[in-house]
Amino acid sequence: MGGKWRRELPLHFMILPGLLFIAIFSYVPMAGIVIAFQKFIPAKGLFGDQKWVGWDNFNYVMDLPSFSQVFWNTLSIASMKLVLGLIVPIIFAILLNELKNEMVKRSIQTAIYLPYFLSWVVLGGILIDLLSPSGGIVNGLLTSLGLEPVFFLGDNNWFPATLVGSDIWKNFGYGTIVYLAAITGIDPGLYEAATIDGANRWKKAWHITLPGMRMVIVLLSVLSLGQLLNAGFDQVFNLYSPQVYESGDILDTFVYRIGLLDAQYGVATAVGFFKSIVSFVLIAGSYFFAYRFARYRIF
Amino acid sequence: MLQEAPDFYNESTDIACGIVSILIEGGEGMRGSGKKSFAMIMVLLIAAGMVLAACSNNNEGGNKGNGNTNVPVKQEATEGNDGANADSGASEDPLGKYDPPIEVTTVRNLSDVVENNVLGVLEGETFEDNRWTRVYEEQLGIKIRNEWVVKGNPDSDQYVQKMNVTLASGELPDFLSVNAVQLKQLTESDLIEDMTELYEKYASPLTKDILSQEGTGPFDAATFDGKLMAIPQVEPSIERSMFVWIRTDWLNKLGLQPPKTMADVLAISKAFTEDDPDGDGKPDTFGLGVTKDLWGGANGLEGFMAGYKAYPNLWVEDASGKLVFGSIQPEVKQALQALQDMFKNGQIDKEFGIKDGGKVAEDITAGKIGMEYGEQWNSIWPLQLNKNNEPDAQWQAFPIVSESGELPKVPQKFSTTKFFVVRKGAEHPEAVIKLFNLHLEKNWGETAEFDVYYAPKEAESVWQLSPVQPAPPKKNVTAYREIDAARKAGDFQALKGEAKTIQEKIDLYNSGSEEGFAVWGWERIYGPEGSMGITDQYDKNNQFLIDKFVAAPTPTMVERKSTLEKLQDETFVKIILGDPIDSFDKFVEDWKKLGGDQMTQEVNEWYASTK
Repeated sequence: MGGKWRRELPLHFMILPGLLFIAIFSYVPMAGIVIAFQKFIPAKGLFGDQKWVGWDNFNYVMDLPSFSQVFWNTLSIASMKLVLGLIVPIIFAILLNELKNEMVKRSIQTAIYLPYFLSWVVLGGILIDLLSPSGGIVNGLLTSLGLEPVFFLGDNNWFPATLVGSDIWKNFGYGTIVYLAAITGIDPGLYEAATIDGANRWKKAWHITLPGMRMVIVLLSVLSLGQLLNAGFDQVFNLYSPQVYESGDILDTFVYRIGLLDAQYGVATAVGFFKSIVSFVLIAGSYFFAYRFARYRIF
Repeated sequence: MLQEAPDFYNESTDIACGIVSILIEGGEGMRGSGKKSFAMIMVLLIAAGMVLAACSNNNEGGNKGNGNTNVPVKQEATEGNDGANADSGASEDPLGKYDPPIEVTTVRNLSDVVENNVLGVLEGETFEDNRWTRVYEEQLGIKIRNEWVVKGNPDSDQYVQKMNVTLASGELPDFLSVNAVQLKQLTESDLIEDMTELYEKYASPLTKDILSQEGTGPFDAATFDGKLMAIPQVEPSIERSMFVWIRTDWLNKLGLQPPKTMADVLAISKAFTEDDPDGDGKPDTFGLGVTKDLWGGANGLEGFMAGYKAYPNLWVEDASGKLVFGSIQPEVKQALQALQDMFKNGQIDKEFGIKDGGKVAEDITAGKIGMEYGEQWNSIWPLQLNKNNEPDAQWQAFPIVSESGELPKVPQKFSTTKFFVVRKGAEHPEAVIKLFNLHLEKNWGETAEFDVYYAPKEAESVWQLSPVQPAPPKKNVTAYREIDAARKAGDFQALKGEAKTIQEKIDLYNSGSEEGFAVWGWERIYGPEGSMGITDQYDKNNQFLIDKFVAAPTPTMVERKSTLEKLQDETFVKIILGDPIDSFDKFVEDWKKLGGDQMTQEVNEWYASTK
C-alpha cells in the first residue's frame, strides 16, 4: 500500500497545479452566483447590503424576446462545430497518413496548423475583409464564376455556416496532428500482415487505421462534450453585428452585452447560471451515453 | 491496439505524441512498469515545473508592469496632493493657480477626429501633452493624467465596457464624465462628492452664466435629494436640429428640385440610386446614408422619421397631456415601412447593418451617397471628405420636410449627456470646476484666444483635446446672427471672437485659394445658404419639438433603458432589412412588458410633479 502511494506521489504533484487552477478560477467565482438573485450594485461589494429580488432576474431573462433564439443558436452552432470538428481532422489525418512524400506531408501539416495560432481578433479582421460582398476576394471569385455574391457575415442564412466553417478551418490542423500521433502509434506489423493477406489501401485504412485511433477519438469527443454550450465567444464576438444577432448571437455574447455593456450584472449572472445548469445536465447525459454505447469512461 | 507507447520518430508530432503517450500510459502502462516510466515522470515533472515557473515569472512581470504604471504613480499623486494641500487656500479664486501644482487623474476616449484631424496635423502635441494640458498647468497649476485612454467614441463598445469595469471596481479617477444612468448609480453607491457648495464657491460668473443658458434641465438631471452630484456639460438642444443634406451637383445634373414633401425626398433618393448621378454607368450609388446605429448627428434617421410625425427616442405629450414614448407610436411604423421599401429598391446600402458612422463616411467620401439626414456641422465632417475627394461635388443643407408639405416639427433630444463627477475623497474636488472656468474663459471670456484654443484653421477640433468641453449653448446661432446681420449691412468690421474667426474662414473660402478649399465646410454652415440659417428659420417658425423628460433617470430607466434601446434598434434594423412590418407591433408589446410601461408611469409621475 505504502509503496503504491509513494510511487504515485509524483502523479499527485503533477495534478496539483491543475487543481489549483480549477479551484481559483472555477470554484471560488461560484460565490458570485448570489448576484443572480440580487439587484446588484457593484460598489457595495459582493457581500455588501444588496437588494434581494428572488427569481426576478430569471423571469426577466425569460421575457426577453431574444433569449430562446440565443439559446438555440448556441446549441446548434456548438453542436455543428463539435461534430464537424471531430470528423474533418480524422479524415484529414487518414489522408495525410497515406501520403508517401514526407516533404509534401510535412508542408501540408504545417500549413493547416498555422491558423490555429492566430487569435480571433486578428482572424476576425482578416475574414471581414476576405468575405466582404464588395471587394472581398471570396466574393470576387464567386462573381467571376457567374454566381451571386454572398454576404457571409451579414446574411442570417449564411452566418452560422460561416462561423462553423471558419472555426473548423482555424482548428482542424490541431486535431489532425493529434490523430496523426495516434496513427503513428499503431503497430506497423499489423499493416505488414494485412499487406500479406492482400488488403488494399482502403481496407487497411478502414480495418487498421480507424480502429487504431478509436480510443483517442472517443476520448477527444467525450472531452469536447464539455464544450456543448460554448459556441466560441472570441469568434462570434469578433465577427457578428446586430444584423445577425438573430442567427449568430450566443449565450456568451449575450451575457457580455447585458453584463459589461448594459451593466445589468444581476441579469447577466442569471443567464450565466442558467447556462451552467444546462451544461451540467448535457455533460452528465453525454457522459452516460458515452459509457452506454462506447464503454468508455474517463474516471 | 496501442499496447506500446508510440515512437518519437516523427518530430513534428512530438508534442501531441507526448500528450497521447501520457494518456495511454496513464491508462495501461503506468501501474507496473518500474523504473523507466518513473524516470520519465520525473522528466515530465521537471519540464512541467519549468513551464510553470516560466508562467509565474510572466505573471510577476506582468504585475510589476502594471504596478509601475498604476500603483506607484497613484502614490506619487497622493503625495503631491498632500504637499499642495498645505497651502491650497491660495487657489480659491475661480481662476487662481495652485502652487505647487497639483495632479488630478481622469479617463478619456480618443476619437477618430482628434487622432487624425487634430493630433495628426499638429506637430509636437500629443494626447497627453498639448496646448490644453499646458494651459491648464501653466495658468491653474493643474496637471492632468489619464488613467486610461480608449480609442473610439464614447458610445463605442470598447469605451462603454472599460467605463463599466472602472465603475464596477469602484476605483474611480479624481474626476470623470459619465452618463445620466451611471451618475445615478454612482450617487446611489455613494462614490462621488456632493458638488453643491463647491460649484457655488468655485464656478466663475462666466461659467455660471453659460451653464444656465439652457434652463434648469441639465442641473435638475444632476440633482438628487437637493444635492448637485455632478457638473453637467450643458449641451444645446438647438444644435441637435436635423437637416437634410443633399448633393446639389447631382440634383442639378438630374434636373431635380430641392424637396418640399416626403414624396420629393423619396423621389430624389430613387433618382440618386437609379439614374446614375455620378455618370460612371454603374448602379453603384445610394439614395440615403444610414448607419447601423440608425440615430445620430450624421446619417441619422431622426429627421427622416420626423417627416412622418414620428419622434423616436423622445418623450412627447399625447392628446390627453400625458407623456408617451415616441418610439412606440404608430407613426414610426409608417416611417419604417418607407425605409424598408427604400432598402428593397437598393436605395440604402445593403451592408448598412454592419457599417458604423466611419464606414458610411467612407462611402460618402467615395461619392456613393447623395443624401443624408444630419446636424448643422455635417459639411465639416463627413461631407468635406467628399469635397476633398471630388472637388466638383457640392452639398447643401435643406430644412426637413413633412408628408403633407406643412412645416414639420424638428425633434430635439435632451442633449446634455455628459456629467462630470468627482470621486468621493478626491484631494481637490474643485479642480474640475476650475477646468470648466478656464475652458470657457479661454474660448469665450475676456482673455479668449478662440483661434488658438477652439478652432484654429489647421486643426478645427482642437477644443476636443481638453478633458472638459463646456460651450455656450447658443453660441453657433449667435455667431450666425452676427455674421448674417453684418452680411446684410455689408460691414464685417464689428465682428469679434468666434463670429470673426468664422467670417475669416468664409472669406478665405471665397478667395478661391487652396487653403480656402479646406474650409468649404464652414461656408456651408455660416454662408448665405448655410445650415445655421435654417436653424434660425426653425427657431423663428417655432418648429422645435423638445424632449419633455428632463430629469435624472427613473429607477426603471437605470435598469432597463439601454436594453430596451437595443431591442428597439435591433427591431428597427431588421424591419428595414426586410422583416415583416408587423414585427413592430410585437416590439411595442415587448417594450411595454419589459419595463416600458413602468417607465411611462414613472415619467408621468415626474411630469405631474412639475406642473
